[in-house]
Amino acid sequence: MIKLPEFSEDQEYRILRETAAAYAAKELGPQAEQLDLDPARWRIKEAIAKAEDLGMLAALIPEDYGGGGLDDYAFCVALEEIAVEEAGIAAVLLAHNAALLPAAMGEFKALITGVGPDAFPVCLAFPGEVSFADGKVKGRVPFALNAQECSLITLLPGGGGGTQALTVRGDAAGVEINAEPYQMGLRAARAGSIRLEDAEASNVISGGDMAGEVQRVLMLGLASIATGISRNALQKAYAYARERYQGGKMIIEHQQMRIFLAEMLAAVEQGRALVKKACEDGGLAPAMVAWLRATERACKSATDGVQVHGGYGYMRDYGMERLMRDAKYCQMYPMTSQEALLRLLEISETG
Amino acid sequence: MGVKGLSDRGRQLLLDFPPLAALREHDRKGIDEIIGLVEGCAAYKRDVALPMALDIDEQMEKEPEYFNWDMMREACKYNIFSLAIPKAVGGLADKYMISGMALAVEELCSACGGIGLALAAHSLGVAPVIASGAMAHWDTVLHEIVEEEKRGNPVLMAYGITEPSAGTDVEEPEFLEVGKIGMEAKKTKGGYVLNGRKCFISGGSEAKYFTVTAATDRSRPLETWTTFLVERDMEGFSTPRVELKMGQRACHAAELLFEDVFVPDSHVLGYEGDGMANGILIIMAASRGPVGAIANGIARGAYEHFLAWTRERRNGKRPIDEDRIRMSLADMLGIIQENRGLYINHSLVGDAVFRSAFTHPIFLSAFLIPRSIRASKPYAALLNSYYGKAFVNILFRYFIKDDEVTDMLAKASLAKFNCADNAMELTSRALELMGTDDSVERRWVEKAFRDAKLTQIYEGTNQLNRLVVYNTEIARTLKVEVPGPFKKGVS
Repeated sequence: MIKLPEFSEDQEYRILRETAAAYAAKELGPQAEQLDLDPARWRIKEAIAKAEDLGMLAALIPEDYGGGGLDDYAFCVALEEIAVEEAGIAAVLLAHNAALLPAAMGEFKALITGVGPDAFPVCLAFPGEVSFADGKVKGRVPFALNAQECSLITLLPGGGGGTQALTVRGDAAGVEINAEPYQMGLRAARAGSIRLEDAEASNVISGGDMAGEVQRVLMLGLASIATGISRNALQKAYAYARERYQGGKMIIEHQQMRIFLAEMLAAVEQGRALVKKACEDGGLAPAMVAWLRATERACKSATDGVQVHGGYGYMRDYGMERLMRDAKYCQMYPMTSQEALLRLLEISETG
Repeated sequence: MGVKGLSDRGRQLLLDFPPLAALREHDRKGIDEIIGLVEGCAAYKRDVALPMALDIDEQMEKEPEYFNWDMMREACKYNIFSLAIPKAVGGLADKYMISGMALAVEELCSACGGIGLALAAHSLGVAPVIASGAMAHWDTVLHEIVEEEKRGNPVLMAYGITEPSAGTDVEEPEFLEVGKIGMEAKKTKGGYVLNGRKCFISGGSEAKYFTVTAATDRSRPLETWTTFLVERDMEGFSTPRVELKMGQRACHAAELLFEDVFVPDSHVLGYEGDGMANGILIIMAASRGPVGAIANGIARGAYEHFLAWTRERRNGKRPIDEDRIRMSLADMLGIIQENRGLYINHSLVGDAVFRSAFTHPIFLSAFLIPRSIRASKPYAALLNSYYGKAFVNILFRYFIKDDEVTDMLAKASLAKFNCADNAMELTSRALELMGTDDSVERRWVEKAFRDAKLTQIYEGTNQLNRLVVYNTEIARTLKVEVPGPFKKGVS
């Protein structure tokens, strides 16, 4: 096996890492192919219900309010471990927790206790063009994670610097959810587009820069998921390279294969380091950089991973091509990389 | 340039391919035929492929066994199954055999990589029957394809090289020598008995005829590598499995299973033991350029949809109004034209090689004999006899020289891996610029992204293709001993 890069982590993170890995291997690994091919609702619910023990159903909500009380880094550690088995489920949990984030920030705490497990996963309708006036919501969200058949939607009006968050019931009048006609990656987080015509807000939460905070957490989380994908690609490709004989030797002996694998290893190191730093810094800029780099590397890891597998990598039952599709979505959401770069410079200019 | 009488697509083609415009000044008739071919494919793209491509792709995920015969039947109207069949037998392949194929394939794949592959894989299956000079089957099998096509019935062929434990190993002489080969053809009275499996064979579950490679002695695969013509209804042959692929789904990747399949001596294409040098290498030399064209078609399709997306208005803005998007569009166009340059380079080399054969008086004189005689059993027996085979072999080796094939192979492999990598880069970048927008164009580009990946894998992985470029063109310029694709295993 390959020795992954070591980071000095406190005991609690180490334990969480092991617990999350065990959960993912037991609950997600065996049905990863099915979760991707046919992401039916009950399976998703079933899969994430078991994540409660990790504190992943209200991860970023303080424990006093009945949440998991994880800090950013712990949350990222858990996501990475889960993504190693099934990035789609990691995306479900990320979007769900980002959707609950305003409850941790704002004055409104009942959101957590008010929605039972039936409402899980909560849909995150972000980013989108949404306006809010007189208790009614209007607008359009092109791509919302966990949208299909959701019972609760979190919306963030005002784009990049909103101080308000709203929740709308999925079945409220004026809410139209259209399932994504064909979702390429992260399929467990069944996405859809949402139209709102004077839908009634069930909760209004005010606090700090909610939209900015949601964006930051999304980017950190996606960077971790991408790192998990790189790890998965590395594990699978390394194992395959040691059992496939071609050109008179095991393909692990071919230089080009070794270079592919080393690149994946470097991607894991880079992803983890950037996420760790971004968690310590706490700003949007480092989270963006982590997201930009980790997702780009994950796309390469997955594509090269398929290449190592040759024809087998292209077939669905090897579980390799899925990584390519998932990694690409980590890179395409919540914004395009060029938009992120433009934004990065904007928030880094000091006057 | 004298473009009077040409359609818009024809004019565009000459602009896209300057060499074609130059050639047209010398050979208007020949080039206009090619233009006609591409115009036909453009009509097929518009009327048949584009309307069904997304549905087929999605349907295959629900039901991997599903195959859309309509797209194949419709293709008959445009003579797409005759592309690789020589004119002498009623097909379309003439002076610009490879260029015509490549340009047609780009056009088809710009609509859908999977549909394009389903149509092109057939020509790949046909190729060994032609390149081996197995003329005994020209007036039977190939003629049947042409005739049935006129009636709207697709009679399909497929080429089976890849095996479960040998992918790269069966594409290159040095590797084949040390490969673990599963397919075996044991000599028996009057023919051979085939046992083993082939996997990932494009078009394998629909083909009626197969060209298949096997070793007559698995311990010496390179020296005994042989190409056989197999018919679907032969006893013991089956296609038990199709794969669920990431992309290019409209075309099945099938497993071929051989359980004591008896194949008569007459169905050996070429000689026993020349399946690499006069089989796979010539086929790869001819087909890797068109595979580059497949990749470029996929890239071009992505570009067309991406361009359409940039012109859609969202929240009052259009992406195309931003400089960064315009620059990316320019990058993409650059990639597409670069790819074209590469595969046209290869195609023109290939055309010259095959032209010298298929337009040669000696070759053409064979077709002065009435067809009724040519299609008869005694004539086939004569061609399959020792002297008949020797005559054809001398003829073909005289026309298609080893060093010319080496040239072709070098250019083809170079075009193949570059076009594939570029297609991957283009589709990947287009998605990166689109993000998760809810536009139908995104679905098209996502499909192109999934389709493009396969072009880096099939017809020899891109890594193998790079090695081939070293072993051919680079080794020759360095005057070092080329590993002997043309020195080994040639009878």
